[in-house]
Amino acid sequence: MRYKVENIHTLPTIPAVLKRLSVILEKPRVTIVEISSFISNDPALTTKVLKMVNSAIYGFPGRIASVSHATMLLGLNVIKGLLLGVSVFDLMQKTMSGLYEHSLACAIASRVIAQKKNLKEPEEVSVAGLLHDIGKVVLILEFASEYENAMVQAGQENISIYEAEKKQFNATHADVGGWLAEKWRFPANLIEVISCHHRPPLSKNAPLETAIVHVADLLVRARGIGFAGEKLVPEVHPVAFELLGLAEQDILDVLEEMENSMATAEDI
Amino acid sequence: MRKIFVEKLEPGMILAKPITGPTGMVMLAKDTELNEKWIERIQDMKIAFVFVDGPPVQEIPEEEALADLETRFALVNDKPFMGIIKKAVREHIKGLYR
Repeated sequence: MRYKVENIHTLPTIPAVLKRLSVILEKPRVTIVEISSFISNDPALTTKVLKMVNSAIYGFPGRIASVSHATMLLGLNVIKGLLLGVSVFDLMQKTMSGLYEHSLACAIASRVIAQKKNLKEPEEVSVAGLLHDIGKVVLILEFASEYENAMVQAGQENISIYEAEKKQFNATHADVGGWLAEKWRFPANLIEVISCHHRPPLSKNAPLETAIVHVADLLVRARGIGFAGEKLVPEVHPVAFELLGLAEQDILDVLEEMENSMATAEDI
Repeated sequence: MRKIFVEKLEPGMILAKPITGPTGMVMLAKDTELNEKWIERIQDMKIAFVFVDGPPVQEIPEEEALADLETRFALVNDKPFMGIIKKAVREHIKGLYR
């Protein structure tokens, strides 16, 4: 399984855009200039990235008019994540209707909680929220009928899609996402958030970031925005929730910002 | 903020987001109060919707939204911290209809 996922560029079902992207993401010591010119050379990609950084998801005041300005402002890791995020949006729409809204809302909620917790790089946590379910996209692309079975099984047995994936594949979308993030040389924290977002206590190096994305994911489902494979809300991991120590008003603030930002983000 | 189709615009509405042309140039600034002349010109532009001040229009009635919330939480009502989360979401949803 891991071998198959890691050789994603050889999979026949993976679209060309992801293959091209995979090449640049995998490059060791890729520079910010290389990433920036990769984006700038593709007008459609440039528009998508600029729309994203100028949207309410990131909440920067004023307009960011160029890719180079965006990369300077956000840094290499965030821009790499964004690049992947905007490139898989179309795939998300095709593979699981609603996953795109779910991911966007999760990115917003993650950023707001990170800001409340005074994290230095809320944008990095936001990117982790954006990409936390990327494993689902790849699983569905490569194992469409098996994933369908897992979803049916989850519904019949009243178990979460996460548990159903485990039964079906002996691995979950969190594992798959983590392998990909590793292969694409994302920073260790981001890899950990993606692979531990369903079991936050397993995160050793980024417990706070992982807890943030875990709770953000849950709040998005609780509010019923988008669709991530199941209609029911799973339980929050008590350790993660306690670690963040969110009061009711904090949750209300997160929900409000999520609601407003999603209303304006519809045209991304 | 309310997203509204340009055909539904009425004089007196206030832009919550600027209207930009295809190149990103601002055509009408945020906080502009719309009059009939502006509305006519906006409708002549090739845009489907704009954002004006005011609460968003909800797609489903409040009772339905609250019932959906109950359904979503069906399996986790007695789990730790799910009570406070549900209470906050319920408050939030109610707030959307005020």
